[in-house]
Amino acid sequence: MSRFPRWIFGLMAIGALVLIPFIYLQPRKPEAPDALARVPVKRVHVDHHDIVKGVFKTGQDVTRTCLVCHKDAAAELMKTTHWTWESKAVTVPWRREAVTIGKINQINNFCIGAQGNENKCMTCHAGYGWEAGKAAQQANAENVDCLACHADPAIYGKGLFGNPADSVDLAAAARSVRATTRENCGKCHFDGGGGNGVKHGDLDESLYFPGRALDVHMGGKHNLQCSDCHLTRKHQILGRMIADNYTIDPAEQVSCEQCHRGKVHKDERIGTHLKSVACQTCHITAIAREEPTKVHWDWSKAGEEGRKDDHYTYLKIKGEFSYESNYTPTYLWFNGNNEYRYLLGDPINRKGPTYINKPAGSIRDPKARIFPFKLHVAKQPFDKVNGYLLQPVTAGKDGFWTNFNWNHAFELAAPITGLAYSGQYDFTETYMYWATTHMVQAADEALQCDACHSATGKPGRLDWTALGYPGDPIKWGGRKLP
Amino acid sequence: MNLRLWAVIVGLLASASALTSSAARVTESAPRASIKSLHPDFALLDANSVNVLKSGQGVSTTRTCGQCHDTNFISSHAFHVDLGLRSYAPSRKTWNSSPGLFGEWDPLRYRFLTQSGDERLDLSTAEWLMLNGKRVVGGGPATTSRSGKPLTILKSSVDDPETSLLNAAGNRTAWNWSASGTMEPNCFLCHLERPNLAARMAAIRAGRFSDANTASLLGLNVVEAGARGWTWNRAAFTAGGFVESKVLQIQAPTNANCAGCHGEVHPGTEPLNLHAGDLDYPQTATTGQVISSQRINASGVNFAGKNQLTRSWDIHAERQLQCTDCHYAPNNPAHVTVAKGRSPAHLRYDPRSLDIDKYLQRPDHDLARGQSAQFHVAPEYKGTMRRCENCHDATASHGNWLPYVETHMAAVACESCHIPKMYAPAIQSYDWTVLKVDGKPVQSYRGVNGAPEDARSLVTGFEPVLLKRTNLDGTSLLAPYNLITTFYWVYEDANGNKRPVRLADLQAAFLDGGAYAADIVTAFDGNHDGVIGPAELRIDTPQKEAAVKARLAKLGLQHVRIEGQVQPFSINHNVARGEHALNDCRACHAAGSRVTQGMSLAGFAPVLPVFDTNNNVTGSGDLIRQNDGALFYRPGPIRDAVYVFGATRLGWLDGLGALAFVATLFGVIGHGVLRYLAFKKRPHGHALTRRLHIYDAYRRFWHWLQAISIVILLLTGLVIHRPDLFDVFSFSAVVSLHNILAALLVINAALSLFYHLATERLQEYIPRPYGFFDDAITQAKYYVSGIFKGEPHPFEKSPDDRMNPLQKLTYFGVLNVLLPLQIVTGALMWGVQKWPEVASAFGGLPVLAPFHSLVAWLFASFILGHVYLTTTGATPLEAIRGMVTGDEEIEVHEEGDGDAMA
Repeated sequence: MSRFPRWIFGLMAIGALVLIPFIYLQPRKPEAPDALARVPVKRVHVDHHDIVKGVFKTGQDVTRTCLVCHKDAAAELMKTTHWTWESKAVTVPWRREAVTIGKINQINNFCIGAQGNENKCMTCHAGYGWEAGKAAQQANAENVDCLACHADPAIYGKGLFGNPADSVDLAAAARSVRATTRENCGKCHFDGGGGNGVKHGDLDESLYFPGRALDVHMGGKHNLQCSDCHLTRKHQILGRMIADNYTIDPAEQVSCEQCHRGKVHKDERIGTHLKSVACQTCHITAIAREEPTKVHWDWSKAGEEGRKDDHYTYLKIKGEFSYESNYTPTYLWFNGNNEYRYLLGDPINRKGPTYINKPAGSIRDPKARIFPFKLHVAKQPFDKVNGYLLQPVTAGKDGFWTNFNWNHAFELAAPITGLAYSGQYDFTETYMYWATTHMVQAADEALQCDACHSATGKPGRLDWTALGYPGDPIKWGGRKLP
Repeated sequence: MNLRLWAVIVGLLASASALTSSAARVTESAPRASIKSLHPDFALLDANSVNVLKSGQGVSTTRTCGQCHDTNFISSHAFHVDLGLRSYAPSRKTWNSSPGLFGEWDPLRYRFLTQSGDERLDLSTAEWLMLNGKRVVGGGPATTSRSGKPLTILKSSVDDPETSLLNAAGNRTAWNWSASGTMEPNCFLCHLERPNLAARMAAIRAGRFSDANTASLLGLNVVEAGARGWTWNRAAFTAGGFVESKVLQIQAPTNANCAGCHGEVHPGTEPLNLHAGDLDYPQTATTGQVISSQRINASGVNFAGKNQLTRSWDIHAERQLQCTDCHYAPNNPAHVTVAKGRSPAHLRYDPRSLDIDKYLQRPDHDLARGQSAQFHVAPEYKGTMRRCENCHDATASHGNWLPYVETHMAAVACESCHIPKMYAPAIQSYDWTVLKVDGKPVQSYRGVNGAPEDARSLVTGFEPVLLKRTNLDGTSLLAPYNLITTFYWVYEDANGNKRPVRLADLQAAFLDGGAYAADIVTAFDGNHDGVIGPAELRIDTPQKEAAVKARLAKLGLQHVRIEGQVQPFSINHNVARGEHALNDCRACHAAGSRVTQGMSLAGFAPVLPVFDTNNNVTGSGDLIRQNDGALFYRPGPIRDAVYVFGATRLGWLDGLGALAFVATLFGVIGHGVLRYLAFKKRPHGHALTRRLHIYDAYRRFWHWLQAISIVILLLTGLVIHRPDLFDVFSFSAVVSLHNILAALLVINAALSLFYHLATERLQEYIPRPYGFFDDAITQAKYYVSGIFKGEPHPFEKSPDDRMNPLQKLTYFGVLNVLLPLQIVTGALMWGVQKWPEVASAFGGLPVLAPFHSLVAWLFASFILGHVYLTTTGATPLEAIRGMVTGDEEIEVHEEGDGDAMA
């Protein structure tokens, strides 16, 4: 019999009768959230040691060499805030014209402002040649500093006006180029504000070699680099800071959901929190877990004669300050934007602190969640007559750091910033909020219920009434949204 | 008009800006302490209702709190106050004169509350209070005599166990209650945030009972102990002489208040350190229960595998529940719907509850309680508390992964899976038959390597043993327990009362001036090194027993003997969330199942103890005492009518089934070998055969479907029966496959029955009664002899009559007996989930499951024989080929030729 054995069909029918109901009735496990699978896989960077050849006298020489192959690189970079140091033009309710916000033209709560201080401030600008002035510097593609982000930071460093430091061997630095690492980003972002951990409470030099206990993403087995979350395309790096923006398009922001999607918490009770509590609130339990961060800076004490300098409490050029480490954040409703960002020339609040920025959100805002912030309080100079904050020339030529004369520093700055100086100054309290998003803790180290809630009325880290609740929602219930 | 409008606008703007700025301020301010206590300021009164500021006397709680609250009502509705006094009933034979702390003999604390009429005084009422005062709230036995009179009016007498005391020398001395005062219910103990427990304890230990309540206020800036009496701090009082409420912080009891008497409770972020094995923390000492929201690995304890212990000690503590959320005051309006008890069945909510003011005047302090094995006081309140099922819906939370949810919930208490392990050490045994030099018994602990109080000891934790708990509603569930075993000497006194040997007598027998008595050393020092080592300090020889008895006899104790008991201690706290609970089927459904897991009870047992029956727990397992004296408890789940697939088996029944199977196997192999040998010897020509279409397509289909179903059912059944041998398979998947195949088999059998009925083919299966035995014998003879001689089959196979008489008989049996039995027992076992009462009418799983296994063995044997007999066709594989293709070569019988063709 050569014909196909028909009994095979019978066997298949029997098999189907058994298997189909079995497979159908198998309990289906919900898809396991596999965050690790969503971490981008990057190509191995080409070793440039044998590619980069030549003698380089200036940074611009190096850039010209880079641009031979990476033709679009400079043009791409010049569109980014790492180059422009300012946001796109936005309209704000309290100004008639559109404004831009950035280090280039606004002030912050630390070294106040960069204008007129380019010699020092531009150490952290991804460009060379600021001695030529802003317009000329920004126009020249050869001023793009490829090495700041791509060279081995152990070989490369920057000096005055954004130019390479004199001691740098540019050829060696150019040969060391590679994809960015935590070290490259950390050079500026860990040491922002003039030193380790000064500005951000959640970014400091401890993240060069973090343990799992410090940051579950960058430390331990994951060893993530900044660009694993701050995804980069054509030199545009994902992620915006509320310190330097008014509003932020969520598409431009880094979020936990890039990797952590679906039913992240097995515990239904935790899941019910997510509408009102940001991931960071429970998973970042403290600010400045290892290195201290600056929480208070009083410029009014700067320039006092005869006081001893001490890195953590007083410097004659900067004034008095205090640091804190491993401390509880300030919690506010936050929808990702600022309610207000101080713009140069804005009036100060004469009755209380002036906000450099104020996170937007309230208990009635469905998009807002409770979020941890570092609050930095400063005492900054303001014009007593004109009623706005003053931006002095500090590091610039004949600035405050040279001769400790405030009047002179303000007069020097006036033509640069365009803000008139009346000749009378005083100091006022200014508040600035920094979102806390790094130094994330794993679930087994995250906050537990009793950090915020208490059945006995013991105060926790959240001030419920200040947040707009009638009391602890464990007893009073959560917020009701329309 | 215009001006007024402007004024309004300006005013509104100003107030709006004021509002916003004040809102901003609030955001910056540090978290404010919320109002914790609404309690008003109040006067502290002394026993004569005079303000203590005026009198300088100690405070009277009943007078002070009685200004607003009905303290008489509270005292008479509080088992914490009563402690068993109202049920006090002395007894000659049993040692428990009450169900509470006042009168119930606790073999761990050992001291016995002497009854009037006892020959010897052990604990008098006064000494009982001094000894247990830490855990006595006051009132009840602390103010009232056993007969109900105030203690202070009792006449002091050395002979009365209520008014005497055993002094250090062991002599009875009189106790004067009027001088010592008595201890009123101490409201501060539970209603202050931080009562001064140490000062209170010191007063009680010193016998200054009337000072105890005022001492609880020391250190709170209200009162100080002066050289004579009390010095009240005027600054803590208002001008009107009221103590400021915010100074005392009167509040509802917190977990910390309950901890004062019950066990380890640890709020806050400081690393937890255990007072392990300390009977001042009784709940922790006896069961290892710790109430804390902390993650276990954040504790300061030296745990084995600490890093992985990321669960919290107790999920309810973590979720900020308070003890009083479940153990509430029964007439608290917030809980009253639960506590009011029986109401019409249709009623879901009864709005008629106490107003809050009425409740605050007369709050019922008989707190809702559970049904634990170790607490017997206020039995009328058992089962009043909120239990797991009052808050959680097990079907909703387990429905998406646990098969047979109702079956599990009807057999296993929530605690059994959700308290999988205890992480603090607990007492294992106290052996009072011997004393250490410090006068303490030989103690052993479970869950720790080394001494429990030593911070260097490695804490390993322990898994509770599962015992059957009979609930008030008559249901019984397996629930987790710690078993504590105690051994002690008992004697009969001159008045015929059986009593434990007093600690004083025991110490006198063993010790002499702080060292072991010479007689004791002689008897116990086995290796003659002059010291009694730990291995020698046990009654393991008749000489040792005799030596102790002799010493006790010298003290005048008669009829001395050793007794022992095993007491279960309920474990209901330290609950874990689902992900940390037992959630692997094989934790129970396999060898080494939690259900059959035993417990080590003592390293050495001088006698075989008895299982304590004064509780709702059935110790139906075996107490096993090995030759070396080690004592174990081995559960006997089948005696509790608990049958756990994969873990429970009847050995003899499996043996019987296996015997039937192996016998068939040997029979088949023997027969086959003989056939082969005979075949080789015999000259064989070509047997005359003819190809016939015997089996139509449906017949073949249902046969093979049935065959495959039965074979896989047998295999999956075997996996379910012995998952330990086949642990590559997922237990739940195998169970689900078994159920699906069973359903398939039943449907297939029903359809084929219909087919046979409809086509009248059924008669093929029915043995013809006429000459049946002759035919059967003929067929049997053929298998026994003819087959070896190459004789033709006695009955020819034809499309209308395919089966020989023996075949018909066998199939008749298989289809009418085995298959229905298996279907019915299987369906009932599956139906335990939905119709448990039907299954239990047949004896429940303990009967059904072994029966199902036995029939499975018979089925396996049948299949073996059946497959073998298919090889007896024209050629060995011809019959199987026939069943596959439908066509079979059939032997041609000359005389039957015509019939077959017809």
